[in-house]
Amino acid sequence: MTAIATDPPRSAVSSPLERAYARLGVLLIAPTILVFTLVIVYPLLAAIYLSVFSIYTPTLQGGFVGADNYVELLTGKAFWNSLRVTLIWTVGTLTLQIVAGVGLALLLHQNIWFRSLARSLVLFPYFLSTVVAVLVWKWLFNDLYGALNHGLMQLGIIDMPLDWLGSMPNAMIGVILVGAWKYFPFVVIAVLARLQTIPENLYEAARIDGAGPIARFWDITLPQLRSVLTVIILLRAIWDFKEFDLLYLLTGGGPVTSTQTLSLLVYQEAFGLNQMGQAAAYSVGMMLVMLVFMVLYIRQTKEKA
Amino acid sequence: MTTNKGMNAGLPRRSVLTGMAAAGAAALMPRRIQAQEQITLRWWSPQSSPEQLAAYRTQIANFEALHENVKVVFERTSDEGYAPQLAAAFASGDVPNIVTHLPSFAVSNYWRNGLLEPFNDVIEMIGPEKFYDGVNRIYEIDQGQYAGTSIGNSAANMIWLRRDLMEKAGIDKNPRTWDELLSACEAMQGGGIYGAPLPYGRNSMTTLIFIGVIHQAGGMVFSPDLDVAIDSPETRDALEFYKAMRQYCPPGATNYSWGDSLTAFVSGACATGIYTGRVLINVANQNPGIAEHVTCDLYPTKSADIAPWTFNDFPSVFIPKQAGNMEATKQFAAFLYDPEGYIQQLHAAPGHVLPVLKTISNDPAYQDNEIIETYSEEVELMSSAAANGFNLGWESTEHQPNTKAGEVVNSGVIAEMVQRVVLNDENVDAVLGETATRIEEIMAG
Repeated sequence: MTAIATDPPRSAVSSPLERAYARLGVLLIAPTILVFTLVIVYPLLAAIYLSVFSIYTPTLQGGFVGADNYVELLTGKAFWNSLRVTLIWTVGTLTLQIVAGVGLALLLHQNIWFRSLARSLVLFPYFLSTVVAVLVWKWLFNDLYGALNHGLMQLGIIDMPLDWLGSMPNAMIGVILVGAWKYFPFVVIAVLARLQTIPENLYEAARIDGAGPIARFWDITLPQLRSVLTVIILLRAIWDFKEFDLLYLLTGGGPVTSTQTLSLLVYQEAFGLNQMGQAAAYSVGMMLVMLVFMVLYIRQTKEKA
Repeated sequence: MTTNKGMNAGLPRRSVLTGMAAAGAAALMPRRIQAQEQITLRWWSPQSSPEQLAAYRTQIANFEALHENVKVVFERTSDEGYAPQLAAAFASGDVPNIVTHLPSFAVSNYWRNGLLEPFNDVIEMIGPEKFYDGVNRIYEIDQGQYAGTSIGNSAANMIWLRRDLMEKAGIDKNPRTWDELLSACEAMQGGGIYGAPLPYGRNSMTTLIFIGVIHQAGGMVFSPDLDVAIDSPETRDALEFYKAMRQYCPPGATNYSWGDSLTAFVSGACATGIYTGRVLINVANQNPGIAEHVTCDLYPTKSADIAPWTFNDFPSVFIPKQAGNMEATKQFAAFLYDPEGYIQQLHAAPGHVLPVLKTISNDPAYQDNEIIETYSEEVELMSSAAANGFNLGWESTEHQPNTKAGEVVNSGVIAEMVQRVVLNDENVDAVLGETATRIEEIMAG
């Protein structure tokens, strides 16, 4: 009977060179870990820490209140109302962005005149500063001098100027429209890039089989776009969910709280009411909701990989 | 053996050591000494029209000419944005040296939380005897300690009228009561002109104007002992009046703040306006065609037996306690009242910010202004109204200073109440009850 020789434990055989490589590896990854800790882990822990205190924002002084801020979050109306508003805004603007983005990407994929110029111009809203974009749109929406009301009245569609941003549901429709206009170019870029990689022979085969343009779109283009659209939808959902400046500048969350999303609620609590602890609790709640999007995104990208 | 070629080249060791010691000493020199050589002061204000900026530049240049080592940097804030900006500044410790033109109730809140430098020294430098009586009283939150002072007075809820439109509508006198105002708006509205640009937005203007309307109904937000008193029949009357006025306001008034409301009157889109004396310079610059027809009065009240209530935000000057270069900061704060620059600042928007120094009001250089001469009656009326004005931090002479007024205003709870009742048509009793509870929570918080 012979004994089978087994490998000795790896640690026992690791050479000085391997140990040096391991130390080098730790050294090389350390800056990344440090930056990650400073810019992500620390603020995250700080927010969770702040959320169990009642803190006056300007002085950052306050006392421990335990779970009181979370009890207020769960039992009060503010968080849930803002969550509802955030979901309406996110779904509304994202849907428009996707529809407009895919539609325009398909158009720009065709061999049309001034295609290069059009492809450049379509990026314009995305590059424009949000403050500038909002100023322009506020002027367009203005009841007394706005081009939108003026045009609609000239066309005989309305008799009196519409209150675009001060009453519901116009205010929500207004911010959704402006949000879609501002961010749809991102969808155009991503979809256009994917469209250019779809093999032409798929379309040729479909044509030979008698498929029309609509059938080709549903049976070839859309399935080919599926993976990129999933990523776009998840990314844009995350970005739209936490949108602040556009909504704050357009409506300030009004009328009443009809367009007050979670980001605006956190801001109002932290700097309007100077309640940093409660604001931190709201932001932790917001982060937990966003975690769902994050998990979906990570799973999707893993599947792709 | 190695040798130091540099030293061998001609520098004796003693000289090198002396040089190194000198360099080390220079490096260890306290930074405050170096800082005294060149100082930068940061000045924040929400008032920054082009004319005001020009006046500030004069004041800065004059001060810098007197103090060669000082540089003053002006930074804009806004009426809606100063609270979050200052909260962040205080929290981070990166504060401006001096802040001007914020309402007095904001100052009292910061003072109560130990964030401000006592202003007594600055008042002494300016000369306490030069101020109008009572100007500094509102800033004396703790006995003998001043949180700041006023850089001016303002009468923010004057009613602005167009004589030509009144004449055309057959109105022979300025409206004194709400009923008269409603009738006047009804008569003047039409042909593309609305009756009034009252604000219904979720912002500080709606809050501050509506606080005035509550007082014009004979009510108050707080009792003199600072118990919440907003849930009252007077507030119900005020809400009813405000709702009745909605039909005479432009559709977009639901989102109006100060700038929108001002422009609506100045552009000629509204027959009446509600604002400070800034209307005068804006009309002169932007719509001179109506300039000769413009006048102002105290805003009407519910009935003639209720006295008018003027909203004066007592535009302030204060110094954050964390500010550096305190001595230079205080000198600059006092210098803001130097006649040349102060008068130019007041002339930037004549009647908008009114002088708080008797010596300036009587100064011929101040009186020598085309708008002040043309609208002398209006400026006089605004001056007297502002002198007897109040705000949420000090609702009447009977009231204690309310150091939580800034938070009540910034919470938007009163503007929300207006929107819920006027725009959403919600039950008044329920809304008032909730509003009172929320204000009580803020006061307790």
